[in-house]
Amino acid sequence: MSLLEVENLDVRYGDFQAVNGVSLRLEEGQTVAIIGANGAGKSTLLKAISGLHPWRAGAIRFDGQDIAHQRADMITRAGMTLVPEGRRLFGSLSVEENLLMGQCSERKGPWSTDAVYKLFPRLGELRAVAGASLSGGQQQMVAIGRALMTNPKVLLCDELSLGLAPSIIGDIYRCFDTIRASGVSIVVIEQNVVQAVAAAGYAYCLLEGRVSLEGPTASLSMDAITAAYFGTGAAA
Amino acid sequence: MIWVETIINGMLLGGLYALVGLGLGYAFGIMRIVNVAQGDFIVAAAFIGVALVPWTPISPLLVIVPVAIISFIFGIILQRLMINRVLGQDQIPQILLTFGLAIVLRNGMVELFGANSQSIDAGELRFMGFELLGLRLGVLPVLILAIALALFTLLHLWMRHTRMGRIIRATADDFEVVQLTGVNYRRVYGIAMGVAMALSAVAGVLLAMRGSFTPYSGADRLLIAFEVVVIGGLGSFWGMFLGGMLLGVTQLVALKLDPSSGLMWGHLMFLLILFVSPNGIAGLMRR
Repeated sequence: MSLLEVENLDVRYGDFQAVNGVSLRLEEGQTVAIIGANGAGKSTLLKAISGLHPWRAGAIRFDGQDIAHQRADMITRAGMTLVPEGRRLFGSLSVEENLLMGQCSERKGPWSTDAVYKLFPRLGELRAVAGASLSGGQQQMVAIGRALMTNPKVLLCDELSLGLAPSIIGDIYRCFDTIRASGVSIVVIEQNVVQAVAAAGYAYCLLEGRVSLEGPTASLSMDAITAAYFGTGAAA
Repeated sequence: MIWVETIINGMLLGGLYALVGLGLGYAFGIMRIVNVAQGDFIVAAAFIGVALVPWTPISPLLVIVPVAIISFIFGIILQRLMINRVLGQDQIPQILLTFGLAIVLRNGMVELFGANSQSIDAGELRFMGFELLGLRLGVLPVLILAIALALFTLLHLWMRHTRMGRIIRATADDFEVVQLTGVNYRRVYGIAMGVAMALSAVAGVLLAMRGSFTPYSGADRLLIAFEVVVIGGLGSFWGMFLGGMLLGVTQLVALKLDPSSGLMWGHLMFLLILFVSPNGIAGLMRR
């Protein structure tokens, strides 16, 4: 049984069907990437899985439990949380206070403020600074740290690289090994295909709300990904 | 000297006005909810105070404790049973709901207690005074200012330095993302409304000790609360405190010059501040 199973999920965004019959699986210890162009339905899919967005049809099973239509805070307490698009720190809270918010999940595990400061040493120096006054890369580190502080089994990451300099994106993705080693399985969504494919063992490509290609990243050729990404030619 | 006394009395009254605004401003700052029924809740709390004062030991002032506890619980119930159901992008349903509640509450109070003017009996406290540097001041107004200051300070410290305070601030920043840390924001909203109600209730009881009230006083109370919040600059604790002071001092100085003016000069001061700085005192300081 997989840690996370999504079956035939339909999600509407207003009158627009953003996600159309998407199925995916995440095994324990795995990193899965979901790639796709702007508007392919990636963010909506992750919001639905994390409980932030309602969905119409399909099934989501997490850790053997049916989590259909559960509230986002319950899903976080069960061990799955989201690093939201655009980071969305609590602007009036300090870095340390942002991290401490993760403890509200009341889950035991390896992640503490000290562990996060060890993962991102820069944050230790900035612990008293307000979240709103950090640079984009530092904010992303706090957002990841805050999510890790809930001690999740599954970490969903929405566009970590958005608006960040390439060197900082590299720094952030390099931390994935440590995060995985702590027993966290990861789903990343990215527009940045190269980055996502390098970080993940398995990838799904979304096109207009449907899975247009999937497979182990080692077996996916760049041509096939390009075709599936833009919907040109016969995908896969 | 008489003017110094007037200004000091204005500040004593202003501290209480600030407390009247605090509950409204606190609820708005955290939940973006404008509770139009706040004024009528303030009056309802005063009626509860009238009922409980004969049973209160030691000092009639202590009646604020049971009234605050009752109002805290009532605030949680109100939020969870009613206001949480109409949360959303659109603020009109909240305003209609609390407006309707205000009307029900006001007429219920007329039905139950009659329309006569009442006040809470503060006993001998009401007539006690003392001399300070040649100024003659009442004990009750000074105690009321001390209570208002203590509540502002306590609320500030609680919000800054406790786990619950941190959760409430985070929820105010982003109620959606706070769920991703395992927080049920609807529960937090319940607690925030409970605190707002308890603060308003204390203000209502103290107002009813200093002066009198009828079931129709809610509209005046709400107006004062709005003015304090807007003068202070939305969401700024100490801005609200200064806002209350400014209203109190303006009102008493104006009454001295023009005894029949009532609250008019206070309202004019409110308009003047809005004209000079639409973001209130806090906005003025930020510039």
